[in-house]
Amino acid sequence: MGGLSYEPMASVPARRELEKKSEKDWVDRMKAFQKVKPFLYLAPALIPIALFIYYPLVKSLQISFLSWNMVSPNRKFVGMDNYSYLLQNREFWNSVWNTGVYTVLLLLLLLVSPFFVAYAVTRISGRVQAFYKSAIFVPTVLSLAVSSIVFLWLFNPISGSVNHLIALVGIPPVNWLSDPTWALISMVIITSWKTFGYHFILLLSGILSVPQDIVEAAKIDGVSSSMGLIRRIYVPLSSGTLLFVFVMTVVFGIQWSFVPIQMLTNGGPDQATSHLVFTVYQYAFQFFKSGLASAAAVLTFLVFSGLIVFQALVMERRVHYEN
Amino acid sequence: MKIKVNPWQLLLLLSLLLSFFPLVWMVSTALKQTDQIFSDFLNPIPLPVTLEHFIHAFNSSPLHRFFLNSFVVATSVTAFQVLTSIFAAYALTQFVFKGRQALFYVIVASMLIPVLVTMLPNYLLLSKWGLLNTYFAVILPQLASGMGIFFLRQSFRTIPKALLESAEVEGATDWQKMWLIVVPAVRPMIVAIGIILFINVWNEYFWPLMVINKQNMFTIPLALQLFINSEGGTSWGPMMAVATLASIPPIVAFLLVQKHIISSFLSTGVK
Repeated sequence: MGGLSYEPMASVPARRELEKKSEKDWVDRMKAFQKVKPFLYLAPALIPIALFIYYPLVKSLQISFLSWNMVSPNRKFVGMDNYSYLLQNREFWNSVWNTGVYTVLLLLLLLVSPFFVAYAVTRISGRVQAFYKSAIFVPTVLSLAVSSIVFLWLFNPISGSVNHLIALVGIPPVNWLSDPTWALISMVIITSWKTFGYHFILLLSGILSVPQDIVEAAKIDGVSSSMGLIRRIYVPLSSGTLLFVFVMTVVFGIQWSFVPIQMLTNGGPDQATSHLVFTVYQYAFQFFKSGLASAAAVLTFLVFSGLIVFQALVMERRVHYEN
Repeated sequence: MKIKVNPWQLLLLLSLLLSFFPLVWMVSTALKQTDQIFSDFLNPIPLPVTLEHFIHAFNSSPLHRFFLNSFVVATSVTAFQVLTSIFAAYALTQFVFKGRQALFYVIVASMLIPVLVTMLPNYLLLSKWGLLNTYFAVILPQLASGMGIFFLRQSFRTIPKALLESAEVEGATDWQKMWLIVVPAVRPMIVAIGIILFINVWNEYFWPLMVINKQNMFTIPLALQLFINSEGGTSWGPMMAVATLASIPPIVAFLLVQKHIISSFLSTGVK
């Protein structure tokens, strides 16, 4: 390749030979370029993803075997110590339990109820339908930080309008953020209010994808009530979407609820609102125990991955079944 | 006379009410005079309307600086993500090569990896590079977006093959095909996706919280936290004023392209 032009006085046949060769080189190089071209186009996206998502994933695993305060140069390898510490720690299990409670409540507000609302939208006429679709989606474009502080005001025990509203129907005031049980429920409400519209639209896409002739056939077969249609037709036929929203709710719902926790309760009162994501944050950025934080993160990640693999497997099977 | 109440209609009205109740309260509190805030709990209409809380918010904190920070971060992240997504989606739809499907899965899976496993190493890396408390700390880890690539790939696939083949016959390079055919063909989708990405970054709280702790580098969502801490939770007026201001850019952005956003989510193709 290189150095061809440095042979000035080559004989004519030799030069022809060289030209042929360089032409072949050029074709080869173009071929090679065509081969790497897709990767050149992908690199600007793949490099950041590799560097800031996949590499830290491995790094987290590595840190989880260390005892290290993030600052000192002393990183002591402690094997599985962080994991066994966590598994024997009451606070950790408390946050595991809370994560479970969060999950159940989030599923109620971000899977079950938006499904019914999405179904309701399909029951009304086109014009109003478009309005509802956009209107219910609106809170989704706001920040969870906004949602958090607006609810801090609404849930204020003395001047908040929620307590004044429920007083109208005779319900005694609730300590939304300082009562351990209500505090967790409040975190779920704040998270769900912001996310509801997104899940509503996703579930609507599932419901709309159910072929109308199957619904008509079911009606002829005597399934006429809405609940009957939902149970026998819409739920099974949009199960792919339902499963997707299920995973979204668990994996992202738990992560999103971090924002109101961090802003409003700091995990309290008495760790009542702390969950796994918040625990990882606390270990890392409040107690500077990076080993423990990473071990907790790895354990949480394993649970999430399990769910995702489960979803993928079920979807796979469903696809085969449909074909 | 019999009035037939449709229970589905009722459910819709209820969700509409719940969706807007906090928003209405936010805006109305921001516009009420302080004594009305503390006396007229159930009336959302401010009498009279006042802008004092907005003025107070601007005077008591470098609010314009927070907006500038948010704007710089959100626009540059959006620009990078749209650009990297266009290139990646073009490669994934127009080139045939070994490992194409695998790389697509790698990109999609990256969306599902929770921040909590990546945040600590990323924090350490950025701190080692001396980038904490800079725009770069917020921007660098977000140069590419799995979601952006996913959506753009979907829309690039809808472009008719004949269109691209005729360009090939005329000797167009990939570069030309991408910018002169593919991108213009799906421009509305690119705009919609760009706006979704912009809204996401604008609203982001988790990651900036990790890497920014100097007040003058705060983005708007972080600044909201400031109003809780320093004001002790009693100045609801300024708090709601800042929340309202923080919500205006994403709501305006959404209203500009709402039809495209809703339809792009409706057609995500998860079935």
